[in-house]
Amino acid sequence: MADDKDVLRDVWFGRIPTCFTLHQDEVTEREAEPFYLLLPRVSYLTLVTDKVKKHFLKVMKAEDVEEMWFEYEGTPLKWHYPIGVLFDLHASNTALPWSITVHFKDFPERDLLHCPSNSVIEAHFMSSIKEADALKHKSQVINDMQKKDHKQLWMGLQNDKFDQFWAMNRKLMEYPTEEGGFRYIPFRIYQTMSDRPFIQKLFRPVSSEGHAHTLGDLLKEMYPAAIPHDDEVKRLQVVIHGIEPLLDTPLQWLSEHLSHPDNFLHICVIPAPTD
Amino acid sequence: MSWSVLDEEGFSRCCRLLVQQSQSLRDGWSWEPGQGSAEGYLRKTTLRTAAFTSRPEREPEGSGAAPEQHTAPGRAEEPSQSDLAAPAASGDADDLTGAEDDGADEDDWVCRAPAESSSRVLQYEYHVLYSCSYSVPVLYFRAFTLEGRSLSLDEVWSCVPPQYRARLQQSPWNTITQQEHPLLGQPFFLVHPCRTDELMRPVMQAAQQQLRWVNYVVTWLSMVGPLVGLEMPLSYAALSPQSPTATAAEQEPSEA
Repeated sequence: MADDKDVLRDVWFGRIPTCFTLHQDEVTEREAEPFYLLLPRVSYLTLVTDKVKKHFLKVMKAEDVEEMWFEYEGTPLKWHYPIGVLFDLHASNTALPWSITVHFKDFPERDLLHCPSNSVIEAHFMSSIKEADALKHKSQVINDMQKKDHKQLWMGLQNDKFDQFWAMNRKLMEYPTEEGGFRYIPFRIYQTMSDRPFIQKLFRPVSSEGHAHTLGDLLKEMYPAAIPHDDEVKRLQVVIHGIEPLLDTPLQWLSEHLSHPDNFLHICVIPAPTD
Repeated sequence: MSWSVLDEEGFSRCCRLLVQQSQSLRDGWSWEPGQGSAEGYLRKTTLRTAAFTSRPEREPEGSGAAPEQHTAPGRAEEPSQSDLAAPAASGDADDLTGAEDDGADEDDWVCRAPAESSSRVLQYEYHVLYSCSYSVPVLYFRAFTLEGRSLSLDEVWSCVPPQYRARLQQSPWNTITQQEHPLLGQPFFLVHPCRTDELMRPVMQAAQQQLRWVNYVVTWLSMVGPLVGLEMPLSYAALSPQSPTATAAEQEPSEA
């Protein structure tokens, strides 16, 4: 059971100051001013950028406008990753505000999923929650919920209603006390250094000898290079929600408190700053 | 824990056998190892003549949320009883192998044409990956015109045989969606895996009762493939080993 409510709130209300700029190749009728927004870390780019779209459409002709997409320093931003994951992965250790470029043409079909409407985001979000519950509880909790309960999770995220979301999400965070945690921890380890977008495997919160697995145990098995040796300069950072949790933090606790609303623990492994 | 669950080792064993059989049948399946890991996937590309509703621009108005985009297209045009070679859908285990056609050539398989559509040669690329979350195989695919343009979800939907389409439209997002390929990081369509176990359990249980080994991946592909134009020739069943080293009972999940 999640009992550290302050942590849940801090995670939920995490914001990233962002500056949206229209790409120079877009055709406008007059100059497009940049647009500033505080982006919720736990939401999705295409869910919280209606205002950005409206802002730029004011200076564009309808025929020059196709599906909106975002890019940061040449990398198309995958809307289906939570915003905080995109920032940690691509823009950690850079100056704020985060500078995102907006496009309305040349949609990169080979890199990005289409997002024609919020129902696509909802479907993606619910499918992540379902997958997480398949790992945590063999889908039993999510299947026992009613359609309106599923809707409550989505509406909570969409409308930024912490209490509404957590009133339902707490059920997805329960587990039998005697088992000491979920069946498996829903996690993804992202890296920018490989074509493979993320690592996702089965990993239990408790070892076969009965002691709690830590973040370090998980990395040791999935991504050993992320753990620095004693006498070595740290080359990689392990980042969750913009912070570097201690490697001896129990994984079950992280899963309950630092998971995104999609119920996955998203872990970014990025190059350490060299200064 | 159900014995019919497919673990990762069982998956690769089924895939190895499928590739062996495919080599003798020459129908193009190969195993692609993933980068720097033990994981990989089955891959096959095929040309297919299909009549689809062409809609190159997803958002001609630029208003973003075109509401019809998130329902399957063509739901108005009722499928007239068609001449499709694809087998009828059935949840009944007995029909699963029987429903297979005579190994119909994919090129003979033609989508039902809505009035305004045109017949085109399309390249389909199919990948079969293992989902450790659901302990089932997952079918990913993408489709291109010969000019290299990728088909949109709407166009892919318009190529789903009408007798399946009507049923799938009840809940389109539970079936075909666009998602990221977990090993390549590129957009693919996939047939959602969350019902696969439910679909396969009776088949695997029936096989076990008859002490018969069934290639999980072949059987599953023969059921799910026709939705998206992928046929598994009946010869795969005929070629199944009678007394394989791997029995169904061995398909216990190994707990990681």
